[in-house]
Amino acid sequence: MRTKSIWLWLALLMSSVALVAAGCGGDDEEGTSGTTTTEGGAEAAEQVITVNWGTEPPSLDPGLASDVTSANILLNIMDPLVKLDEDLNAVPNAAESFETSEDGKTVTFTLRDDLKWTNGDPVTAEDFEYSWKRTVSPELGADYAYQFYGIVGAQDYNSCDPKKDDCAALRDKMGVNAVDDKTLEVKLTTPQPWFLQQVAHHSFLAVNKKAIDQFGDKWTEPANIITNGPFKLESWQHNSRIDLVKDPNWRDAGSVKLTRVNGRMISDGITAVQAFEAGEVDVLYQGLPPDEISRLKETPEYEQYPALGTYYYGVNVKNITDVKQRRAMALAIPRQSIIDNIAQQDQLPATGFTPKGMPGFDAINPDSPWLPGEGDMEQAKQLMSEVASPKKNITLYINDSPGHREIAVAVQAAWKELGISSTIKQQEFQQYLEFLGPPPNKDVDIYRLGWIGDFVDAINFLELWTCDSGNNSTNYCNEDFDALIEKARSTEDNDARYDIYGQAEDILFGENGDMPVLPIYFYTYGDLERESVKESFEVNLLNQTDLTKVVVTE
Amino acid sequence: MLKFIVRRIFWTIPVLLVVIFLTFMMMRQIGGNPFRHSERAVPEAVQRNLEAKFHVNDPWWKQYAYYVKGVFTLDFGPSLVLRGQTVNDIIKEHFPKSIELGLYAFLFAIVVGVPLGVIAALKHNTAVDYGAMFFSNVFHAIPSFLVATLMIYWIALKLGAVPTSGWATWEHKLLPSIALGFAPMALFARLVRGTMLETLQQDYVRTARAKGLRYRRVVGLHVLRNSLIPVITAAGPLLGFIITGSFVIELIFNIPGIGQYYVTAVNARDYSVVMGLTVLLSVLIIFANLVVDILYGILDPRTRDART
Repeated sequence: MRTKSIWLWLALLMSSVALVAAGCGGDDEEGTSGTTTTEGGAEAAEQVITVNWGTEPPSLDPGLASDVTSANILLNIMDPLVKLDEDLNAVPNAAESFETSEDGKTVTFTLRDDLKWTNGDPVTAEDFEYSWKRTVSPELGADYAYQFYGIVGAQDYNSCDPKKDDCAALRDKMGVNAVDDKTLEVKLTTPQPWFLQQVAHHSFLAVNKKAIDQFGDKWTEPANIITNGPFKLESWQHNSRIDLVKDPNWRDAGSVKLTRVNGRMISDGITAVQAFEAGEVDVLYQGLPPDEISRLKETPEYEQYPALGTYYYGVNVKNITDVKQRRAMALAIPRQSIIDNIAQQDQLPATGFTPKGMPGFDAINPDSPWLPGEGDMEQAKQLMSEVASPKKNITLYINDSPGHREIAVAVQAAWKELGISSTIKQQEFQQYLEFLGPPPNKDVDIYRLGWIGDFVDAINFLELWTCDSGNNSTNYCNEDFDALIEKARSTEDNDARYDIYGQAEDILFGENGDMPVLPIYFYTYGDLERESVKESFEVNLLNQTDLTKVVVTE
Repeated sequence: MLKFIVRRIFWTIPVLLVVIFLTFMMMRQIGGNPFRHSERAVPEAVQRNLEAKFHVNDPWWKQYAYYVKGVFTLDFGPSLVLRGQTVNDIIKEHFPKSIELGLYAFLFAIVVGVPLGVIAALKHNTAVDYGAMFFSNVFHAIPSFLVATLMIYWIALKLGAVPTSGWATWEHKLLPSIALGFAPMALFARLVRGTMLETLQQDYVRTARAKGLRYRRVVGLHVLRNSLIPVITAAGPLLGFIITGSFVIELIFNIPGIGQYYVTAVNARDYSVVMGLTVLLSVLIIFANLVVDILYGILDPRTRDART
């Protein structure tokens, strides 16, 4: 199938040559984040939009949902306890207020009085207790169960073996407790300053027990589902469409302008762009075909958002042992030119591992001397000449999704100048992940991967490089680094914690940095948005859109 | 004849078992983790829970036996990736759309291809013949995804005559059916032309003409009927071609058929969906070949005796 899709790209490349003629003049409108005004024009009479969700969500069960599409739909049909504001701080939403105890280990949410399920029942703290315990339960087999591991007893309950352990007892011991209808008390294993932001994640939404008891696995079908958010799930034709309608009975329905959100699922980028250009779709979430970016960027409908993600090359430090060689290889990569000519979405050259936009970025970012935007070939060559026994033949592994090879070829050319000859090997994504390990594969010298954060604290990025991290395939293990990460886990004060993260970044990329990872760039999201919604349609760093803020203008 | 049919049906069972076995083994050989959807590693406990839930940590022979039992009771199990959906749900919802697309494409191929071949044969070595053959050679050679892309660009995007993608009204269905039907149409045209020309030289045609039968009747009754035999022979394997071709067409036109699911399922290592769809498609192709063999017997009595 892979070869087929390559042919597909080729064929479409041919036709896109013809399409270039259709491109309109440039319009450098930048994202005006957060504004919900209707400056662009008067409100349209019909507040309906059609978006392309992209791919079929694996599930609309908050416990089981694991992708961007489901997160985006769920956060609009359900009512999260807290939401993230523009600066990614947690602000009250379905919870009227929240309070953290002095030792930082107990968080208490007080729910609003006017929360209702679509069946008329009130949403209570018990609903949240039930939902969180359900997601952690071993029987559900939820991907995101680990999001709850910061709660007392959650990991034990999730790891419980129904054949051996008393799971019910472990369930009762889990530190989430509805004190009364309106009060939800959560006990954490350590003070976790990021816990509140984490609660904005879709896995922390409440689900309706009645619907689940009655319909089992099928409770998320439109006929069965009971929701509590600003929009209702009107229809779900698998792999084809998911349509939402405004819920007029929602607590703050007056502030919601859109009456309807038609959603299509066009997974192929080119097909999606064509549907957009034919006027069948108003908003195209990212997934724009790489070959088309340069053309689409010139259209007035193109919009770009920073993303909380880092594209990087991991280095097997057991194969490339000399830190000078790793530094030289980092210096040689012309990041800015890779962004300008290949990635093309104004990504930022990475100067550390934690991406821009992360709270505390300025304090955390090491502004690594080894990661200059344009690269520094002179210094790289100089360093390389100092390497006692350099590894001159290396193998660079990438997965076979579009775009990675082009970047790898550019890097290969840069390293060639250092006298390093690299062989690029490509693998299908699933095989690739298994191949890389951990345990790290010894055939791999360099590997490409990306990391997209799912909650807004740098720990989500930096903990990747601890010795026993399940995502560390570099063989890198530094006890000082691990100690810092451990210390950060229990440091409640934000500034103090950012400072620790800064020290950790320094160990990796600073003047004396170990360079087990060569960060390439911080991701961005490129979207196409019809001009009638462009003003109000916003995507946050976690790739989420709050549809309650969207207004269609004339 | 009946004995022949019954025997053929029984033969499908071992064939099916082999198909299941091979798919089962191959899927497990390619590696990958159905429970990992991104770069993010799956925590140990989560992985264990999922493996237990979907019985993927049982020994392979147990899983295989379990699966074969499922196939013969028509229960293909739950999808490992699309939580809450069973393979049966997926087939029920999406298979009819693929069948519909395949049928339209087939219909297009026959309705356009056969007359084209007939005309080319009757106007042998004229401009009409050359024109028709040039047309069909070109479309036989051009892959369907290119035809599809060009049609979307010109007809849907530039002319705005039909929607670019989706599967709801007849306007949505027009382009994909034609795009998928072009190659078989071209094949049919060339096949029919070839066999018609051959049949027209046959003694019994000359005899029929000599008897005083009108040309039109000779062609319509004797020549055409015998010329269709190779078409039917080709139709069986062609069905397989149409199904695999539809994978790409479904992707380009965003048709929620099983082709799209098949590809996604392989990439995501959704074992049960891949298995279920493979079994389904095998049954379909086996069945199509069976029907072809039976039709063959009906159209050409000579083959019947040899086979019983």
